[in-house]
Amino acid sequence: MSKPRVAFFEFASCEGCQLQIADLEEEILDLISIVDVVSFREIMKEHSDDYDIAIIEGSINRPMDEERIKKIREKAKILVAFGACATIGGVNKIRNQWDAENVKKDVYGDTNLSGNKYFDIYPTKAVDEVVKVDYYIPGCPINRDEFKKVVTSLVIGKKPEIPSYPVCVECKKNENVCLFELGKFCLGPITRAGCGAICPTNVSPCDGCRGLLRKPQIECVQEVLDRYSLTYDEMKNRCIMYNYTKEEGKDD
Amino acid sequence: MTFTKIKKVYKMENVKIFSKKNLDTFVDSLIQDKKYEVVGVKSKGNHFIFDTIGSSEELRLDYDITIIPPKKYFLPQYENLMKYNLKEKFDVKLDTEKKPCIIIGMHPYDIFALQQTDKYYLDEQKDDFYENRRKNTIIIGSDIENVSEYSFASSMNTHFIESGFDLMLTNIGDKYAVTIGSKKGEDLLNKFAKLEDAKLSDKEKIKKLRQNLASKYKKNVKVANGKSWSSLLVANYENSIWNERSSKCLECSSCTMVCPTCFCYDISDDVSLNLADGQRVRTWDGCLLKDFTKVASGEVFRDDLKDRYRHRFFRKGNYLSERFNFIACVGCGRCSVACLPNIASPCDVINELSHFGGEDKPGKYFIKQEIKIDEKGKIHVPRSATIKKIQKLTDSETLFELELNDKKPLGHKPGQFVELSIFGVGEAPFGISSPPSNEPTFDVVVRKIGNLTSKLFNFKVGDYVGIRGPLGNGFDIKQFEGKHIIFVSGGTGMIPMRSLIEYCLDKKNRDKFKYMKILYGAKRPSDVLFQDKIYSWERCKDVTCKLTVDTCQDGECWVGSVGLITTLFPSLNVERIEPKNTIAVVIGPPVMFKFVIKCLQTLGVSDTNILVSLERRMKCGVGKCGHCQINGIYCCKEGPVFNYSQIKNLPEAFK
Amino acid sequence: MIKDLSVNVHHITRVEGHGNIILDVKKGEIKQIQWQVPEAPRFFEAMLRGRHYDELRPITSRICGICSIGHSLASLKATEDALDIKISDQSQILRRLAINAENMQSHILHIGYLTTPDLLDLGSVFPLVGSKHQETLLKIIKLHRISNEMSDLICGRTTHPIRLVVGGFSMVPNKKQLTDLRKKLEDSINPIKEVAEVILSVADKIPDFTRETEYIGLSSDEEYALYDGCINSTDTGAFKNYKDYKKIMQEYIVSQSTAKYAKHVRKSYMVGALARYNLNSKQLHPLAQEIAKMFEFKPICFNPFMNNIAQLVEFVHNIEDSMIQVDKLLKKGIKEEKLIKPKKDTGQGIGIVEVPRGILLHDYTIKNNICTKANCIIPTNQNHANIQHDMEEFVPQILDKSEKEIELNLEMLVRAYDPCISCSTHYLKVKFV
Repeated sequence: MSKPRVAFFEFASCEGCQLQIADLEEEILDLISIVDVVSFREIMKEHSDDYDIAIIEGSINRPMDEERIKKIREKAKILVAFGACATIGGVNKIRNQWDAENVKKDVYGDTNLSGNKYFDIYPTKAVDEVVKVDYYIPGCPINRDEFKKVVTSLVIGKKPEIPSYPVCVECKKNENVCLFELGKFCLGPITRAGCGAICPTNVSPCDGCRGLLRKPQIECVQEVLDRYSLTYDEMKNRCIMYNYTKEEGKDD
Repeated sequence: MTFTKIKKVYKMENVKIFSKKNLDTFVDSLIQDKKYEVVGVKSKGNHFIFDTIGSSEELRLDYDITIIPPKKYFLPQYENLMKYNLKEKFDVKLDTEKKPCIIIGMHPYDIFALQQTDKYYLDEQKDDFYENRRKNTIIIGSDIENVSEYSFASSMNTHFIESGFDLMLTNIGDKYAVTIGSKKGEDLLNKFAKLEDAKLSDKEKIKKLRQNLASKYKKNVKVANGKSWSSLLVANYENSIWNERSSKCLECSSCTMVCPTCFCYDISDDVSLNLADGQRVRTWDGCLLKDFTKVASGEVFRDDLKDRYRHRFFRKGNYLSERFNFIACVGCGRCSVACLPNIASPCDVINELSHFGGEDKPGKYFIKQEIKIDEKGKIHVPRSATIKKIQKLTDSETLFELELNDKKPLGHKPGQFVELSIFGVGEAPFGISSPPSNEPTFDVVVRKIGNLTSKLFNFKVGDYVGIRGPLGNGFDIKQFEGKHIIFVSGGTGMIPMRSLIEYCLDKKNRDKFKYMKILYGAKRPSDVLFQDKIYSWERCKDVTCKLTVDTCQDGECWVGSVGLITTLFPSLNVERIEPKNTIAVVIGPPVMFKFVIKCLQTLGVSDTNILVSLERRMKCGVGKCGHCQINGIYCCKEGPVFNYSQIKNLPEAFK
Repeated sequence: MIKDLSVNVHHITRVEGHGNIILDVKKGEIKQIQWQVPEAPRFFEAMLRGRHYDELRPITSRICGICSIGHSLASLKATEDALDIKISDQSQILRRLAINAENMQSHILHIGYLTTPDLLDLGSVFPLVGSKHQETLLKIIKLHRISNEMSDLICGRTTHPIRLVVGGFSMVPNKKQLTDLRKKLEDSINPIKEVAEVILSVADKIPDFTRETEYIGLSSDEEYALYDGCINSTDTGAFKNYKDYKKIMQEYIVSQSTAKYAKHVRKSYMVGALARYNLNSKQLHPLAQEIAKMFEFKPICFNPFMNNIAQLVEFVHNIEDSMIQVDKLLKKGIKEEKLIKPKKDTGQGIGIVEVPRGILLHDYTIKNNICTKANCIIPTNQNHANIQHDMEEFVPQILDKSEKEIELNLEMLVRAYDPCISCSTHYLKVKFV
């Protein structure tokens, strides 16, 4: 059986997730033994439009990028969104709090940029807001072990599974002192696990970069907030970092 | 007495004295010996954990509670059970390496918890991995010096213990008393320790300390015997407190992760990036998590948060309590430390419920029965089997005939199941479809739903799979002797039913039973399984077969009835069967049971003569991982075959 | 020579981010040379607006995946400058280790994965597997891994570091971990020497092109400046007052680029390893100096392609420096420290560091613990104009080569700068010049 052909693409991103592939170190040789990397702009000159699996990093924030991702979706049998920017919008969505035109004006002043497609910005979208995504690898950046799991699953014909339980499960298994006890508000209880609770393990509260599992309803959370003297607004404000949604701004 | 005495008290003149300096030297000698991994309690920020210690200076016997219990040394958070080589047809090696370990500082409640866990893991289907760790660990306990604010161990009588340890240290002021609890402990002292004899006043000090300890506890539970917890819980199954409390629950399952008496686990298969090998890993799981009871088809058997929240308390105070005669909670209070909205304490729940009445039949969510274990081989470890034949039955179901490679018969009863493994993909339960026989082959019928079944569909004759089993409670056909039998199958229920029918129709057995009525309903004509076999059954003496399909399209070839399976009942020839002398067997989708059982009851069949086969997420197959629980029973152990009268009052059985 | 050719490199490979090279020649006359930056701007300063000062570091870290530690440090320095926080000596040493680790990781990635293929006539490093150069590839991977392990240890995670927080470190390594790190650093010396030999053997492939350029970077009396220093220029000397940075780094917009251009006294300037080398080479540690000698590399070098060699030299320097810093920690003894709290909640602060690609500056205005304004000057931004001007001077010199060779040479020129294009398009407050 021939090896699946894999292509990497990036949109509005920091390319940190693709860097994790290079950070596989010696295992990168294992990776290229099980798949054919036909396009990986950051480290390869060769490029092919003939691929089975497209791995996408970054958000979509321009019409020209929307066209590009749609073309990729047509060609690929499987499309994987990887990294917070691609899976949930990530930090790129923070600016969605403000109108795109105003942001542009604020930054570029009165420069006439109309007609310049490079500057034609609209509110940031996650990849699945534009095309159908088959599998997700969340995180900012992605967890290399999870990436390996997803790739090996795809190659051996297994549906890749990512955890649907919260970070607390992994945090407790790591025997961490709960960040709430240190006076920090941690989004771990409502954030998807799979990162090994790396931030709490390094004594830093979880910021929800892997996506929230559920909306933090006030009944569940009020007790916790009261116990640690925090406000609901402080919590909602924290959620904006990676999980901003338009409704967040209106809800209470 | 709440707690059954689990271990005998070691008889030896058993208290000695350490000076503080000599205790330190003892600990340091153990560390320097390098034969053991020496684990003790050390500080982590403002908290404490069990961890390998490098010197006696790190040891903090004055701790109140650790973040997670020492269960991680017996049931690790992530445990490699076995390694497999994917380049070979079937090459699996167990990962049983364990360096001998000494744990210093276990509090009495944690030792009680360990003894409870022994009951779960060292039963008739012993977990070798756990046993290996248990045997290789020396336990040096220590009496509690400081009490955690959420602990209620004193009212649970777990604040001191007189057995179950190899050594027990007690801080009696300027010295440490050490109580010898076993030969292993004694040998350790003889080799490494410099001791003085204990005076009577020293032994008095130990007693006094333990008595005074009780008053230090701020939290107390109002009732602390198993029967009271059990009866309070069962009487209040539908109490509104479950709703009120669970509305604040974040579903984070921190409570189960930090609990010394929780032991549910999940198993997954990892594959290395080069695809050459991998391992099967066991990890802690929690019943508060939504996907705990999710099966391949996507169905979740305990979906509602309120049900999951309530389940944990029942597990500790009623289900396990009825099964083992102890409360599966030692009052350590870790769950309250971990629970952000502070709704996890069994003490708070029981105290709140104590205002309501109790129930005199607290065992109603549990079935007491003797189970004979048929499984061959080590639990958790698959044996290899070859695919001998592959036969497509319908568009979605395919029959696989398997032969164990040791050429021995599976030795199963109808109604039992096997756990089939494909290394690197996973493991799943399948009902055995062929009747018991002396041949080494047996059949499973597979429907393509999830990862494992999809992969299996790509396998060929000659390929190997892993088999564990036979597992579960099957049909005891002795019960059927001298009776009429009605077999009611819905959809894929015919897969295990076939095993029972053919077994009953076997020449050796047929004469033991009277008339047999086989009722079978499928969704559509193309979904009917074993059509040719059904024709041959019909030709047998005193056997009637009635088939129906839910719908039949124009042009589909079908000679049977059209309608739900319940429509077959009215036309059953009631004169030819004596309802009081009839056994009915029902296997089918959950929604079918209620209606079919009503039909049977209308016919006059008594509840004790109705047998059902239920399905849940059966992962370990041996009543340990916890996923298949239906209230207090394990579907994989007390089931999948049940007597309806025993489970009809189980709220979770027929939702 | 009569010649028609057209080079259109869309999304140049083996650089971070998206850049296009356009060259149009008709009848031997150059009609158009353009370095275009079409990378999607992400408006980071909009993201920082209204955020609490604790959140500024995690957000700006996401400007770039490769220089996330650099952005984090610049961000923390700016915040600490604004809120009057002086971090402890131990934190100073740890941050130097962090910046060394980032420099090492980035440089070896660039030299090994991004540049070497050009010197060996390959599309990527993958063909090296199974070839006579496989050993070299494995050494490069090993050095990359050690750099990452170092930043994982100090920062909790290499990409988007976790332990770097306002006022210090959320967690510090223990003695055993530092001792292990020391050993790993020692074990890197031979492999990097061997990699240097391999590059030396193909060094003739490096084009010989020079253009007199201004170089800007940090300088310090105490050390080869990466974490701390004053802005220094090969043309005008050092600036004591960093608050006047806008007079030095003047940014302006051009339509072919979503990233801005920058200039000082000439029409463009260069930052990065070559700039730092040209300014501070005397302060390099001994082995690094030796490596520089191997390549006959002397300041001031005006060949942008030698940026690659400057990176190699810096990599060696970073290993030596890290061993010195680790020794300091082991001697003093490392311990968990409380974070230094801010002395005020309002202020303006500037943080400048050298990241692998050059001088990076963050300027924050904080009111009542909330950021109200932010400005960032990114190294690659400062290089875009220089790339354009280098191209304009370079192309006529290579016009006699084949179209393919010209394309390769132009790509090599861009790659030599090691541009970090997504960093440069974060977008900031515009100043028109």
